[in-house]
Amino acid sequence: MSDSESVKARMIGPHGLLVRYGFVILIAAFFVFFSLYTSSFLNSENLMNIVEGSAILLILALAMTLIVTMGGIDLSVGIALDFGAAFAIVAMKDYGVAWYFAVLIALVGGSLIGLLNAFLVVKLSVSPFMATLGTFFIGSSVQRIFTNGGGPISFRRVDQSYRDLAVGDVYGIPSEVIIAAVVLLLYFIVLERSIIGKRMHAIGLQQSAAAIAGIKVKHYLFFGFIVASATCAIGGVIGSANLRMFTPLAGYSYLLDAIAAVFIGAAIHPLGRPNVPGTLIGVLFLGMVANGLNLMGLDFNTKDALSGIILVLTLALAVMQKRLR
Amino acid sequence: MESDVLLEMQGITKTFPGVKALDSASLRVSRGEIHGLVGENGAGKSTIIKVLAGVYQRDSGSVRINGKQPEPLTPASVHDAGVRFIHQELHLVPHFTVAESVFMGQELAGAFGLKRRLMRERAETFLKEALQANIPGNALIRDLGVAERKLVQIARALVDGKASLVVFDEPTAPLDSGESEQVFTAIRQLKSRGISMIYVSHYLAEITALCDSVTVFRNGSTVSVLEQVEANSTDTIIQAMVGRDIDALYPEKSHAVGGAFFSVGGLTDGQRLQPLDLTINRGEIMGVAGLIGSGREEFIDTLYGVRAAHAGSISLAGNVVNIRSPSEAVAAGIVLVPRDRRHDGLVLDMAVSDNINLATLEAVSVAGLEHRRKATERADDIAATLDIRPRNVNAVARYFSGGNQQKVVLARWLITQSRLFILDEPTVGVDIGAKVEIYQLVENLVAEGASVLVSSSDPGELLGLCDRIAVMYRGALVDVLEHDELSMDNLISMTTAGIPRAAEA
Repeated sequence: MSDSESVKARMIGPHGLLVRYGFVILIAAFFVFFSLYTSSFLNSENLMNIVEGSAILLILALAMTLIVTMGGIDLSVGIALDFGAAFAIVAMKDYGVAWYFAVLIALVGGSLIGLLNAFLVVKLSVSPFMATLGTFFIGSSVQRIFTNGGGPISFRRVDQSYRDLAVGDVYGIPSEVIIAAVVLLLYFIVLERSIIGKRMHAIGLQQSAAAIAGIKVKHYLFFGFIVASATCAIGGVIGSANLRMFTPLAGYSYLLDAIAAVFIGAAIHPLGRPNVPGTLIGVLFLGMVANGLNLMGLDFNTKDALSGIILVLTLALAVMQKRLR
Repeated sequence: MESDVLLEMQGITKTFPGVKALDSASLRVSRGEIHGLVGENGAGKSTIIKVLAGVYQRDSGSVRINGKQPEPLTPASVHDAGVRFIHQELHLVPHFTVAESVFMGQELAGAFGLKRRLMRERAETFLKEALQANIPGNALIRDLGVAERKLVQIARALVDGKASLVVFDEPTAPLDSGESEQVFTAIRQLKSRGISMIYVSHYLAEITALCDSVTVFRNGSTVSVLEQVEANSTDTIIQAMVGRDIDALYPEKSHAVGGAFFSVGGLTDGQRLQPLDLTINRGEIMGVAGLIGSGREEFIDTLYGVRAAHAGSISLAGNVVNIRSPSEAVAAGIVLVPRDRRHDGLVLDMAVSDNINLATLEAVSVAGLEHRRKATERADDIAATLDIRPRNVNAVARYFSGGNQQKVVLARWLITQSRLFILDEPTVGVDIGAKVEIYQLVENLVAEGASVLVSSSDPGELLGLCDRIAVMYRGALVDVLEHDELSMDNLISMTTAGIPRAAEA
């Protein structure tokens, strides 16, 4: 009795409040700060920029959420993105494939990465971290070899419909935002509302117990890795449609932000679990910070450092919250 | 000044929330003797050892080592008093050498770093002189047999030469009889060097062969002390270990047993488990008895597809079923309540309702989406039937008591239409009230025509519950006790000595 009372007292005190709502305070502080110190942050056009600029990261972060939910991690999300872009551009440029087939081919290209991960993790029992790290190195090297050292493959005369996947709009909403929103919705339904998602959460929380309960753990892990990588390929489609080219190793820049977004999302979940809404908040938060710094004219190179600081701060807050519980 | 008594523990009481693990228990070890400590699971053996080790703080009672009363009793103060513990688990690093392992955490170092050669020499000498074992100091742990690893573990605890009392906790559990002999030789050698020992074991044959005196625990108290142990003391010990009113605890066996329903033929994991045949009838409660290391766990795991079967067949109602994973077992109608509830039974951080519905999520879904109200109602229904408390199925399973957690696992399988229920240590860590309810549930299951396989280290539980009991010993099924042969004497002598009943009759 006295124990729970003292916990309550700590929760209500100023220190407890700070820890409990620390992340909300952090977001608000950044938002107010950027609004006050830059003239162009707080207007609808710039806010839309943030959302639009976050579309690809959101797609990758959702794929990461899927894997982290099942207790793993995927360091090859960027590689799957690259493969998606490469397969689509090459299919259209060298084989004259119609744009919608190219999108399918991109999904296949991304899935190859997932297949390799799935094989390593499920069949060979390599830990997800090591398996996807291996895939990351292999995939990076393959791209360099294929492009003779990393030069981009551009295709200026790409079909306008393909290009519209990135630069088009529907009733004024950029199509990449719409695509990301659809992926977001699907992931939300599957991970947070379906029985497939329930099983995935069980696997991530306690794999042995999930197996004893008759859940086909290996099947879920196997297809999970493939679905995640195919999702990343959608990001590759948007990226390549935007630039009308395949840029080798472009996906790498999203890796750390995707991980950060998922763990920020988990940190603000009441039970500390990876979750789709949390990932969305994490992505938008990182996008806001990058945008605000940009507007303030800060060196682009400081962005990673700031992402790192935010991530560490959030995780520290999450640990403190857990102690209060 | 030196008295005859080396260790004197008196009136030790230790209470955990809801459980009185030790109730005024006592333990007294004389200088230079090997003192056996026996009792059924949950009798309080490990609790009093942990109190002695300073891991648990006693509620009351006194502990005197060598006439002194170390206060407070902490792992460090007990170590300083010369008491060493040889735990059941080895805790050795496979790619360390013998010398490195023996001196791990107590390395000999001089001004120029580690004295590797000296450590190796001392390790070899100690192993040879104190334990009568010739093990090269530069051999890697992973290349040693289990018995040799055990000796290295013992050497590690004793090499500083300051030990006066050594506590062995089930030292031979993972060993076969040849390997056990190696450890006994070492123990006798230690005795000849004047070291006193407490020997905790389920193997009564070892106790009578090795020990000078024995303390018997039951229900957290010392019920008997034998000052002189002879070869024929086994009966006396068994009587002291058992002897409780089991009639109230178990339901009346009123169910009718049908024809053969489930059978395994030649099932083996290709490792510890010898090829095994067993048939279970419809509406029958079959028990599996056996000590730690008897292969009981391997049998259950192989049966359920947790361990890969190397050979053998499983058939259910006359049809051969292929079980390579738990999900295939569940699909065939075979379900498991695992022994390790907190790791394998429950997803502790999920709600009770999720844990209950986990195996049958389709039933609470619409088009693949979870129907939360249905899920909660279904879980609530079965929770009410089983009287799961607190009655809040949205609470996280972690914070429920052992008995209620076990009911949650049972509830998950009761709402399926399963035909064979495997219960592995169903009442470990379960309070007496929930125990009785779980036994009644099992009785209801078989009354409805399901078959049940109960694996347990509690002979009283097996005798009270089962129609027949299969006995395992060192990896093999020795015999099956039929209904009219069920007695504590038969069971204990077969599990501890591995004698088929034909040989002892």
